[in-house]
Order: sequence, then structure tokens, then C-alpha cells
Amino acid sequence: MKKYILLFLVMAGVIGANEIKDRTEEIIKITFGDNISTSVEEYFIPLNFKNEIETSCRQKFFKESVYLWRIYKGNELLGYAILDNVYGKSLPITFLVLFNTHGEIARCSIIKYREPYGGAVQNEVWLNQFIGKNYESKFGIGEDVDAISGATISAGSVTTGINKLTLLLKKITG
Amino acid sequence: MKTIYTFLVILSFTFYNSHSAQDLDFFEPKSTIGGYGELHYNQVSSGGKESTKTLDFHRFVLFFSHSWTEKWSFKAEVELEHNFVAEGEGELELEQAYVNFHYTDWFGFQAGVILPSVGLINELHEPPTFSSVERPDYNKLIIPTTWFGNGVAFYGYHAGFDYKVSIMEGLDGSGFRAKDGIRNGRQKGYNADASNLLYSARINYLGHPGILIGASLTYNNAKADSSEIPITLFELHTRIRKNNLYIDAEYGNISYSDYEIEKSTGYYVNAGYDVGSIIGTVCKIIPFVMYSNINTAAATITGGNSEREYDNSYWTFGISVLPINEVVFKADYSIVENDLTGNQTKLFNLGVGYMF
Repeated sequence: MKKYILLFLVMAGVIGANEIKDRTEEIIKITFGDNISTSVEEYFIPLNFKNEIETSCRQKFFKESVYLWRIYKGNELLGYAILDNVYGKSLPITFLVLFNTHGEIARCSIIKYREPYGGAVQNEVWLNQFIGKNYESKFGIGEDVDAISGATISAGSVTTGINKLTLLLKKITG
Repeated sequence: MKTIYTFLVILSFTFYNSHSAQDLDFFEPKSTIGGYGELHYNQVSSGGKESTKTLDFHRFVLFFSHSWTEKWSFKAEVELEHNFVAEGEGELELEQAYVNFHYTDWFGFQAGVILPSVGLINELHEPPTFSSVERPDYNKLIIPTTWFGNGVAFYGYHAGFDYKVSIMEGLDGSGFRAKDGIRNGRQKGYNADASNLLYSARINYLGHPGILIGASLTYNNAKADSSEIPITLFELHTRIRKNNLYIDAEYGNISYSDYEIEKSTGYYVNAGYDVGSIIGTVCKIIPFVMYSNINTAAATITGGNSEREYDNSYWTFGISVLPINEVVFKADYSIVENDLTGNQTKLFNLGVGYMF
């Protein structure tokens, strides 16, 4: 019995330690296919980009950096993925936005949701409405984005968070 | 062998707790503050009497939270009603104050001063989220919002379904009245008698973005002075925010046993449309119409006119304007008619509300 408990603890420990990164890489593979390679960097947002985007979206970036993946098939660049956070009512919501090379959203995913309320932002049907949007899209709750009753704050935060990343990618890729 | 086991245990816990170079961890212990509030102008005229006019900062609410870890947090809500508290005036209430353990999306628990999840408004009541100036009377007389008290709750979300089960202090049956049902039976956490607990379970479906639909069942064997009054409250609710439509509807029924009132029942439907989307304004401009019927003494032992005395129908016409999603300006006009007397009360209200 002791042996199995121990085995479980070791497995849980190893699995638990890389939850966010593993989940991100899993979603990148689901979106872009299996035969891909990626490079990842902690991208420190230049201050002028940061200020401009924060002011236009009325939301601050969670940190000075985001995590940026470039996705390749052989030598061909397929797209990008950016991992960032926004605050729900009081806890960070970790989310991922995947883009094609034209800066259009290919997929959005909530990687980790920590709040007791507002979990419905993880609903894939709701997240799928962002597919195809880019830095010129409106991202207005109740306009081009449906609200979620019972998740007013988290839906608003995540929508603005995704908007910020479309603007950031535009700055990065030019 | 024992040494190897010990070593492996330590190693596995080290893996579990370490923030290795590979891992990404965004949580930091943090306190946050939020809140909402509403200022109202109310004008009431009834029969031939002179109308009453009031200006009132109806609610000023502050919400605090602190997160110690990703799973353990504390949340509190303090409310001040009607600007100040003096003898018999105003209210200062601790409406929420609970320790929250969020084990995973589909299971968490709360312990402390909690809100049972009954009806739409008890938990979702920030002024910009509903269109009328005052909360619908249904959420006063059938669902005694804001309903709060000491207890524990279990909650979770999975595959579009959201549930919450609450076990908390019961109602004081000696406070039940024909004119407002169970509302005056709320103990509000004040040295609450915990002999007869209240049990409530609610399920919501949120699978279609923009649509919330749900129901709840609440039971309490309410302790009265020298007897007990078992009550069961069943309610249905829906909130639609889709394609510029703003629709709220609720229906509720309270059954009482061993009491002169046997049933309180009521419903409302509120339908609005954001015309700002047609005109092309930045603001949301939402004219709405609401119909409600409430009878807090729909069935009584006495029968006859006692079942019509508190039967009221409401028509409300109004508009709410949101320059941003967090701020709202509202105006509405209501006609309330009593079934027994035929008396009409006319209400004109203006309101400003915010949330952050």
C-alpha cells in the first residue's frame, strides 16, 4: 500500500509542477498539428508599447512581460501564441491566445481559472467567438462579444485581455 | 528499504512544492477592493394623497477579498443603506464574510456569512446588471433579497452547469407576514438561532453564451415562537443578454405548512433592447417594459378576500443608459394595482449606479 501512495505522490509532484506550460503546449499542438516545433521566450514589453495599449484598453498588463511562442513547421512560421493573465474579481486568470501569421486569432483558451465565481469564461463556445478577430476588432461586451450572466467581471477582464494581446502582437510583428 | 522510501517521499514533496525553472506560476497573495452603489430619486403617489418624494443613496457597498494561496481566499461585503445609521434608520450590514476553499472548478466550499443562491438578484445585483431603478418587488417579497446569513456552501462549475448548495441559519417563523411573506423572517446573522437549519440547492445552465437559465429549491423548518413553520421555496429564473436583447424573468412559489398563509407566489418578466446598437452610439440605451404579479398570501386558511388583499400587479416602463458597462443612469415609471381594492399606486424613479 505504501508503495502505491508513494508512486502517486511522485507522479502528482511531477505532473503538478509543469501544469501551465504543459497545458499551453498541448493546446498549441491541438491548434497547429503535431508536426510542429516551437520556440518560447519571456517577452518584456517595451514601455511605450505597454503604456499605449494599457491606455487604449483601460486595463494594465499583469506583469512587465508575457510568454511568447513562435510555431514552425520545418522553417515555415505558422503562427504565434501569447500567454498572459488578467484579474477576475480577485485572482489571476491565466489565458492563451493563438494567432495565425496575419495576426488573426486562431484560438483562445483559459489555461488556469482560480476564482470561485465566473468559471463560465472557460466555455469553449464563448471563447470561440474571438476566432478571426484581430487588432482592429471592437472587443465590446454586449456588442461583438456576448456577455456571460454571473461572470460579468471575468468575461469583461478576459475580453479586454485578449484585445490587448492582439494589439501587442501587431506591435511585435509590425 | 525504509531509507529509500523516506528519500523518495522527500523528493516527491520537493517536486510538488518547488517552483522549478520550467514551471510558470502567476499567483501572488493579494488583497482587492471592489464595490457598487446606487443613488435613487423616488416619487410615490397613491389614490388622492399627495405624492412623497425622496432622494436616497440606497446602497453603498464595499467588497474586499484577500487571497493567501490559489486555493484559500477570504471575501467580504459590507453594505451601508440610506446614507447613515441611527436609531431605526439606515442599515449597516456585513452581507458576506467567508473563507473560500477553491479545490477545483467543480468543487469548492465557503464558510462564514454567505448568500444562498436563490433567484437572480440575490447574488447578481450590481446596479448596471439590471434595468429598473429599484430591484423588482419580486426580489423583495418572494425572494427576500438580499438574503444573507451564517452558514456553509459548496459550489462548482462543469460543462456549462453551475451548482451551489447552501446550509445556513434558518428563518424566524415569527417574522413571517401576509404582506411580505418570509422577508421579515431573515435573521441576517445577528446571534442567529441555529436550531433549525435552512437547506438550499441551485443549478444554473450557462452553456449558451448570453443565456443563463436555472432553478433552486430551499427548505427550512422555520422556528416560530411556540411552533414550527416548514417552508419550501421553489423558483425558476432566466437572464438573456444576447443580440442586444436584455431579458430577465423569474417565477417563485413558497409553500407553508401549519400556518395561516399556505402559499406566496409571484413572477416578473422584464424585456429590453439596446437601441444604441441601431443608432450607433457608444452608450448602451435600453428601453424596457416589465410586468409582474405578486401575491404574498395567494392561498390562506381563511380564503376569500384574504387571498386578494396582497395580490398586486405591476406595469413598469423605463430606460437605462450605460455610457460604459460599469456605470448606469436609469429612469422608470410604474403603475401598481391591488386586486382587492383596485387602488393604483404610481411610482416615478430615477437612479444612478456604478460597479467596479
